[in-house]
Amino acid sequence: MISRLLIANRGEIAVRILRACRTMGIEAVVAYSEADRESLAAQLADEAICIGPADARRSYLSPSAVISAAVVAGCDAIHPGYGFLSEDAGFAEAVAAHGLVFVGPPAEVLERFHNKAATRRLLAAQGLPTIPGSDGVLADDAQAHDEAERIGYPLLVKPAGGGGGKGMRLCRTPRELEAALPVCRSEARAAFGDDSLYLERWLEDNRHVEVQVVVDRFGSAVHLGERDCSVQRRHQKIIEEAPTPALPDAGRRDLCERAVRAIVAAGYENVGTLEFLVDDDGRFYFIEINNRIQVEHPLTEALTGLDMVEIQLRIASGEPLGFGQDDVRFAGHAIELRLAAEDAADDFRPATGQVEHLHVPGGPGVRFDSHLYPGYEVPPYYDSLVGKLIAWAPDRAGAIARARAAVDELHVDGLVTNRSFLRALLDHPAFVRGEVTTNLVDRVGASAFLAAARRG
Amino acid sequence: MTEDLRTSGPGAVEPDDRDPAARLAAHAQIARLADGLLPALVARLGTTGLGELEVREGSWRVRLRMPPGPRPPQPATARRGSRAGSGLPGGPARPGAGSAPAESGFIIGPDIGPGPAEASAATPFGGRPGADGRTSPRLVASAPAVGFYQPRAGLAPGSRVRAGERLGVVDVLGVPQDVLAPEAGILGAALVEPGEPVEYGQEIVVIEPLPAAGPSAGAGDSSPAGGVAPALPEGTR
Repeated sequence: MISRLLIANRGEIAVRILRACRTMGIEAVVAYSEADRESLAAQLADEAICIGPADARRSYLSPSAVISAAVVAGCDAIHPGYGFLSEDAGFAEAVAAHGLVFVGPPAEVLERFHNKAATRRLLAAQGLPTIPGSDGVLADDAQAHDEAERIGYPLLVKPAGGGGGKGMRLCRTPRELEAALPVCRSEARAAFGDDSLYLERWLEDNRHVEVQVVVDRFGSAVHLGERDCSVQRRHQKIIEEAPTPALPDAGRRDLCERAVRAIVAAGYENVGTLEFLVDDDGRFYFIEINNRIQVEHPLTEALTGLDMVEIQLRIASGEPLGFGQDDVRFAGHAIELRLAAEDAADDFRPATGQVEHLHVPGGPGVRFDSHLYPGYEVPPYYDSLVGKLIAWAPDRAGAIARARAAVDELHVDGLVTNRSFLRALLDHPAFVRGEVTTNLVDRVGASAFLAAARRG
Repeated sequence: MTEDLRTSGPGAVEPDDRDPAARLAAHAQIARLADGLLPALVARLGTTGLGELEVREGSWRVRLRMPPGPRPPQPATARRGSRAGSGLPGGPARPGAGSAPAESGFIIGPDIGPGPAEASAATPFGGRPGADGRTSPRLVASAPAVGFYQPRAGLAPGSRVRAGERLGVVDVLGVPQDVLAPEAGILGAALVEPGEPVEYGQEIVVIEPLPAAGPSAGAGDSSPAGGVAPALPEGTR
């Protein structure tokens, strides 16, 4: 088992990993950039070590800085969290080459699933329906237009090398495609160091549903149910929930069972998430896999009672899963709200500031994962996520009621957040009915949500 | 899908709608400034006792400002880590509470017109050392990366060093990274033993001012850029 872990990430996920270390008796060393010297994770850690300047490319994204920190601090494993180096096969390989455990899929697995177009082909071969798309990455603009004619509009231009909505554009006409290609290329190059793109048919009114799978080194695997992440703004998730209201129980079970069968056959290891689009008729199409812990993992924890980070650490250590599908029980309904330091009234411009006062909600079924504390100054260099509010109840209506009460109770003074926007979304009739599609927020417009909430 | 954290550098303080290529170029420029210029500037700010220092390069501006008063002590909870169990000699990772970059605020930003520095530019290089009651800042060479420190053979306390001279290396997974003198001076006390682990920015060795030239050799220089230029690391590769 791992005895001393380097946490190579920041924000709420660094704190989350640290908490798993505490319950498992693992010493936690936090690697931080100069901008995160005063971060909660650095303060809670058994040891904190500065690995570079604020610029992530020279700290959290620098394999040599992170691995050197693990060596210097006497760690035997590195947890990369999400984002940054978490799905970098070269990094995972270097970690192993230095005799350290990489907490995630082994390098060869990351390599196999790195390219999204190739992954889609691989899982299609294992029987998962995939969305019509280009055959592999696009060689040039001319091929892009040829493929687009074949696939049909509207379609999405997507980067092969990463996610997060960067380098992604919705195109409804050839003219839009022509304009989007150079922009997507340069965005993808900036964000992932890889400007290869592919095309994917766009389903107009789709739901985003993803399946959590866990596979140990010995091929034992379970699914931990699905999550619905349809409440998005410009391809960024805002609210997630589990189970999905988009599918009946039989459909959910079918989706999860087919996902876990396919991923085991494709040779996956550790925790992973298969993302699907679900159309009006409940048909699902595989789009991509995330080879890491997800931001929204607490939903799965709320329903199953499992600790996802602990499972990651145990599998990475080489332990067998230790339970089967029949041992996994799902109870109730959970909703997660992503609290971001963003000004919803100003086109969600990222905000910085010092937290003057913080009140965290409580009560049955309420969880708040965050790195905020009074006096903490949110630095401008990184992602705007500052907390995740999770509300669980025996049924969906109860979970919505608890989520509303929790958002109302949450107070963060000194920092502009999207709190009122989250509250407005919870009141929207489409959300209450469980009918939100991924295009709803962009179609209606965020300002309309806010205005409706003010009138309400 | 939203987990990818923004990787933009300090240039992204302002929301940025320039095209990504220009942004990348700007980031490269910032990284270069941060590597080459900032340590020298911080050192210069320390020795001159100035409140603020600004340098322009191309379309970018670097401004450093001393904090108004003595910095409150770092929270004791941070980095309290005992080294027990690590099997390493001593502790690394004491990011010197007094390390220069942490002590002085610095701002890097596009040169978009007169900043506060110019507004109050009546005091360039007319520094009053210690006027605000600060203890005189000491000049140190610090670690360029996290790794194991090795001093350069033949250097000893009392050796005279040039600005930008290599004083030793930090071994980062077998790749040496130079520890450079931020200013010309006399090598003072070593703060890290040979072979000890260091973290990024950790203070490694004190540089005492040259006795003849005085503590602020460049203080009379009227051009900030000119005054700083000699301090740029020579060995930057």
